[in-house]
This record gives sequence, structure tokens and C-alpha cells, in this order.
Amino acid sequence: MKPWLWAATLLVYAFLYVPLAIVALFSFNDSLLNAQWVGFTLDWYRKLFADEAMLTAAANSLFIALLSSSIATVLGAMAGIAMHRWRTRWLPLLVITPVAMPEILLGVSLLLFFRQVLDLTLGFFSILIAHITFSIGFVAIVVRARLAGMDESLFEAARDLGATPWQTFRHITLPLILPALTAGFLMSFTLSIDDFVITFFVAGVGVTTLPLQIYSMIKVAVSPEVNAVSTLLMALTATLIFFATRLAPELLKGQR
Amino acid sequence: MKLGWLALFFWFALAQAEDVLYLYNWNNYIGEETLARFEARCRCRVKQDYYSDNEEMLAKLEAGAEGYDIIVPTGNAVESLIRRGALRPIDKSRLPHFENVKREFRDLWFDPGNRYSVPYATSITLLGYNIEKMRELNLPTDTWALIFEPKYLAKIKGKVTVLNSQRELMAAAMKYLGHSVHTTDIAAWEAAKRLILAAKPYWATFSNSTYIKDLAIGNIWVAHGYSNDMFRARADAQAAGRPFTIGFSTPKEGAVLAVDSFVLHKSGRRPDLAHRFIDFMLEGENAADVSNVIGAGNTNAAAMPYIKPEIAREPAIFPPPEILGRLEMLRDFDPKMRRTLARMWTEIKVR
Amino acid sequence: MTKAERAMRWFVTLPPAAFLLVFFLAPALIVVVASFREPGEFGGLAPFTQPTVEAYAFLLGDLVYAEIFARSFFVATLTTLICLALAYPLAWLIAQSPKKRRDLLVLLVILPFASNFLVRIYAWIILLGPLNLLYTPIAVVLGMVYVHLPFMILPLYANLEKHDAALLEAAQDLGASAWTRFWRVTFPLSLPGIFSGSALVFIPVLGMFAVPELLGGTGDILIGNLIKEQFLDNRDWPLGSALSILLTVLVLALAGVAAWAARRGIKGAEALT
Repeated sequence: MKPWLWAATLLVYAFLYVPLAIVALFSFNDSLLNAQWVGFTLDWYRKLFADEAMLTAAANSLFIALLSSSIATVLGAMAGIAMHRWRTRWLPLLVITPVAMPEILLGVSLLLFFRQVLDLTLGFFSILIAHITFSIGFVAIVVRARLAGMDESLFEAARDLGATPWQTFRHITLPLILPALTAGFLMSFTLSIDDFVITFFVAGVGVTTLPLQIYSMIKVAVSPEVNAVSTLLMALTATLIFFATRLAPELLKGQR
Repeated sequence: MKLGWLALFFWFALAQAEDVLYLYNWNNYIGEETLARFEARCRCRVKQDYYSDNEEMLAKLEAGAEGYDIIVPTGNAVESLIRRGALRPIDKSRLPHFENVKREFRDLWFDPGNRYSVPYATSITLLGYNIEKMRELNLPTDTWALIFEPKYLAKIKGKVTVLNSQRELMAAAMKYLGHSVHTTDIAAWEAAKRLILAAKPYWATFSNSTYIKDLAIGNIWVAHGYSNDMFRARADAQAAGRPFTIGFSTPKEGAVLAVDSFVLHKSGRRPDLAHRFIDFMLEGENAADVSNVIGAGNTNAAAMPYIKPEIAREPAIFPPPEILGRLEMLRDFDPKMRRTLARMWTEIKVR
Repeated sequence: MTKAERAMRWFVTLPPAAFLLVFFLAPALIVVVASFREPGEFGGLAPFTQPTVEAYAFLLGDLVYAEIFARSFFVATLTTLICLALAYPLAWLIAQSPKKRRDLLVLLVILPFASNFLVRIYAWIILLGPLNLLYTPIAVVLGMVYVHLPFMILPLYANLEKHDAALLEAAQDLGASAWTRFWRVTFPLSLPGIFSGSALVFIPVLGMFAVPELLGGTGDILIGNLIKEQFLDNRDWPLGSALSILLTVLVLALAGVAAWAARRGIKGAEALT
């Protein structure tokens, strides 16, 4: 491997992690202001573990993110495959437009639709549906790009050998698009766990997510407790994804 | 038998669900201990959702969000909610402590006779500053000229932030030029726009929230913002042992006053609990918290003895009558005027 | 098409299409209609009488709005190019790593984004303050790049991962230099990844308002901010809807150009069709 490639990569990782190091570091800082290092403390974590509202919000966020990105990955993959396989003209339009639509408009329109057309009580489900809606496009586009230029003879060979569509999918398509599914899932996950604007509109009474909880604190100035919850959330996500990536390929192999 | 269990289950579920009061509120606008006292008294739970801006709350309700018993909007938002028929009238016979509301905050323009709203807290949009820096540079702190006149701004270039709000910033410029913020005279607004454009190169940015931190850290020296936020910045700077003090005062030309009130949303399911809550908050001791905790002005006469003296004495929080007379509350314009002003604001941002 | 094939097509297409028809298209139509209505006296929409194109006339009849559109497209293009330059080497390196290390490297890319958006932006405020870059256009582009970088890295990785090592080896055996191998083999094959990654960065940047608001200075207004102001400052829903629809139509037109390019045989563009 070329040394310059490693150098460039390390630089990009550094770019990604420097702000994060600050977030984590300042979660242990004994200062409300967080402009400079004052001294080590665990007070913010103590405060966090006593803050029921914040913890509930974090748990809600994690749960909604995992669920919505799983569903979005399945639906998005289907859309991506359909776009590639049958070149349906209207499908790309339906998939790209939600990505192109500004989030405020998406939020307002979903709220109007939930309340005034469906008469749905806002809450957990409205947030879940909204998050799936804005994630599908991201997954579909990545899956479509993965399939682009893929060797068609593989599929034909499988069919000639008498494989059912399901077998073809299971043994050829799925392994091929697996990296795209991982990428799509991870993108949906970050989109969901970070979304404020759309969630603000579709959240109902008493159901709140972490971004909502944190944004509402802007006016009272963001305290390092927020750094603490962010750091914890990262640690938790790392663990979850790590085990998922360890387990998922094993499971797939096991079924074969 | 089965049916009996089922009925019992539903009765429990309902009994559980019934005793929750839903508040749609600004964050940190009611003290935690105050809430705990109310929960103990009513044997119910209070659940809060938060907004950080009236317009956010209005947009959400306008699109059909519901289930909130109590909301705490500012004057013009109260008017807007009343006009759209979104509120439930308040039954004053259930508010024995209503008499505690100060005379000057009753019967306000947005709700004559207080049919729908009970005033809770006030704030003033004013100037916060680094006292030492202002003294060192010999700058006046009692006038909007500080953020509008190039001769002063030249000394603090890049160290000033103003609110990222068309209504608030243009209102400050209008007050400085000696106009009412309610005028529909386009020429006056155009003059305000020119004033802002001439001062803009000296400002660091438009900021609605980061200025609290920036002031307390010392990144900026002057901020246009809300009195509660300046109170917060001052306390933060003090707590962090910064080598300077944050001060705030109402410019002599006058400023914008915000009065936040409790209102009952039509979709609320527990108007009985809501009335009890409002009456509870009208008791002096409970009403005082909002001033002690976040430095908001208080509309409750009975609260005054419970408010820390150093806060009660602060003229930028409790304005004396001669300043109060120069404060104006924002009112909504008609859609056509709103669009015209929005166009001016866009031009301000782009140039 | 055989019967099984047709059934398969429905089975695959229907669920995502139905979901988006119900939860995206139907709601979107409400706001499309809203853009042809008049703002209500106290916000929201006025009672419907007849459709009006006033909002569109207001926007199209004023160069100030065209300027903001142009500026936003410039920032989006710049952000996309920088993201591409940063993401390509990284994605390539991940794709060429051994399978075990690959998962870890991908995980490392996404991890920062499991923290909170606002917290990350505040970290940049702390970093940029002493460098005198805070509240400048540079801070805006930097923030945009930071926020959107994974949406370039991941699609690129998903694409580069499939490249056939045998192809590169063959090229090497034929005496092609490293540079030639990259330009002749790797790069053309990665075009779909570049197109999809660029779309997933370019498009969201256009609607983003938080980054310019928190990191930008007094002149850094983008189309996202303008749209936000109409809904959350100015209570002018028709104008906000009209702005959003103009933006969406422009973006879709760009996607249309990509589709056209794909039909003309331009490699990679089919990723968006």
C-alpha cells in the first residue's frame, strides 16, 4: 500500500476525529463554559445519569434509529434493485425527490398529512415513518450505484442453471450488494439519530428524541452534560455496530 | 370474568393516563422544584415538550399538532392563537390567585380582559456587553448607537453579534431612529434597513443562541439579545472566574418587551388540571422562581418578596416606570407587510 | 418477461414504491398546492378561494433570490468537490484492506456521526474561534464538508469494494504504470460511486441551514436559511413552499441531465437513473 495513501487517509480520519476528541474531552471538563480545560470531573456523567428526560430521549433516539434504518435498508435495497433491473422510469424520480426536498418542507408536509389526512396521533410511529421516508432514497441510490455496471452474465448463468429468483437473490445479488447495504444502513442510522427538523414537526406529546432534547437547551446554553450523552452514545453505537458487523457475515455464512 | 379483568385493566390504564398534564414550554422556564411541588399537590405528573422559538411552536400547532394542555407563548403569538380559535377560554373563577397579577400586565392589547391568557414572565431585548472592555474603549452602553453607529463600531469591529431575527433587529433599528415598531410606514422601515446595512460590516455574525457563550468566554464584547440570556451569560462568566464582568442595560431610545403568558390549548384533555396548575403558578412563592432561576422579569406582585433583592433591583429585568413606558411589544403585521419586510431582510442578509 | 419474472418485479418494486407514494408523494402534494395559495392573516394558509402564482411571481421577479440560488449551488459544488477529494483515497484504502480491517475502518468513518450534530458544530466553534475563522464563509464550507463527508465516503467505498483485483493485476502485467492503472481501470469503474456520492452530498447541502446559521458570518445566507425563515420566522408558508419547490425542480432537472448523460453512454451516470 502506498504511503501517501495512508497519509491522506490518516489526515481525513484526523479531520473527522479532532472535533470529536474535543466533545469527549470536554465531557470530563470541570467547567460549564467549556472554552478551555479547567480540571477533570465526572460531574456531567453524574448529572446525566440523574437526568431521566435526557436518558429516555437518548434511548428513544437509539431505538428509532436502529428500527428505521433497518426498515429503510430493506425498502431502499428493493428500490435500488428495481431501478437497476427493470429500469422503471418513474421510480428514480420517486426515490430522489425525498432526498432533494428541503427538510422543513418534508417535516411540515408529513405533519399536515398525519394530522389532517390520516388523523394519526403523533408519537413514536409518526417519527419512525418520517425517518424511513427520508432514508430510503439514500440506500436506494447507493445500492443502485453498486449494481451499476455489474456483470449481467452472472444472473443469467444462475437462471440457466435453474435457480429460482429467490435463490439467485440469496446467493448472487445479496452477497454482491452487501457492502452497499452496510453503507446504506450506516447512512440511514446517522440521518435518523441526528435529525432535528423533521422530528420536531412529527413528534407528539411526551415522545422526544435526543436532538429535540438538546436543541431545546440552546436557549439555556448547552451544558457539558450534552457532551457526556454524546460520548456515551458514540461508545454505545460503536459497540452495537461492532458486534453487528462481526455477527452479520457469520450469520449469512451459516445459512448458506 | 375475563371482561371484568379487561375492564379493570382499562380503568387502570385510564387512571394512569388521566393524571398527566402536558406542557408545551420554553426549556428551563419552570423550576424543577416548583414542578415537584405541584406534582405532589395535584398527585399528577407534568410532562413537558420544549420549543426555543414562538414561531416553531406556532408552525407545529398550525399543522395540527395537539394534546398540549398549556402553552407559554409571547404576546403576539397569543394574539395569533386567539384569532385562529386555537385557545380555550380561561375560567377565572377557578383562579383565586389571579389578583396577584400586577395591574400593568393585566388587560394587555393581545387579550383584553384576560379571557384566554394569564401573564407569567417578561424579558427585554437589549444590549449585553463586556463591562471592562466598554470602559477601556470609552463606549456608551445605554444607547442602540453602540451597535448602529460606525464611529463606535470601528472600535469593536468583529466583536459584536446581533439577533438573527428580522423582527427583533429591525425593531432595534426602528427604536434608534425614533419610530414605533408598529408603524406601517415603508419609508421608515427602508431607513432602518439602510442603517442596518451600514452597520453590518462591523458585526461578527447574526446569532440567536451562541452569543451567550461567546460573551461569557470573551469572544465578543457586545451582543444584541434577550435579558434572560444576558443574565445567564453574566452568571456563567462569574462561575467560570472570567477576568471580566458582563453587564446589560436597556437602551434609552426604548426596546422590545416580551410578555409570556399561560394559555390553554383547545386540544388539551385536562383543563381542570391546567387551571389548577396556573393558579398554583400564580402563588407568589412559585411565581418567583422564574426570576430567581433564569433572571426573567415577573408579572406577579406577590412574587416580589420572594425574589432575590439583587435581581429585583436590576433595572434591565424589572424596568422602572420611565423605561417601561418606552418599551413596545411586537405585533404581527398582515401577510403583505410581512412579505415586504421579509424581502428587506433577505436583502440585508445578501448585501 | 416470464410470469415469475413479472411477479418478482411487483414483489420487489411495490413495497418501496407504495411506501413512498403514501408517505412522501401524498404529503408533498399538500405543500405543492400550498405554494399556490395565500398566506393566512395570522400564519398558516388563508381560506382557499382560487389558486394564485403570486409566490412564484414574487420570487422570480427579484434578482436577489436568483443570487441566493446561485450562491447555494456554488457552495454545494465546492463542498462536493472537497468531499470527493477527501473521500476518494480513504474509500479506496478501505476497499483494498483485508476484510477484517475493512469493517473497523468503515465503522471509524461513521462513529463521529453517532454523536449529536449540534455538539459537533459547537466543537468546531471552539476549534475555529482561536484561528479567526469562525463566522466566515470558510467556516461554512468546512462545516458543510464535515457534516456530509460520510455520504461521499460510504457510496464510494460500496462501489470501490467490488473492483476486480484481477483486472488491475492484468493491467500491471501488461506494463501499465500505477497512474495509468488508476486512470484507465479504477477511476472509470468507480464513476457510479462518484455520481451517487456526489448526489448525496450536493443535494442535502442545498437545504442545510444550521451550518451557515451557526458557523457563518453576516453575509452567509443560503437557500436553506431562506426557506427556514419563511416557515419559522415569517409565517409565509406559500413563499416557503414555492422556494422549496423551485429548489426541488432544479435538483431534479440536474438528475434529469444525469439520466440523459447515461443514455448518451456517459459512464457512471446511470447510477442516478
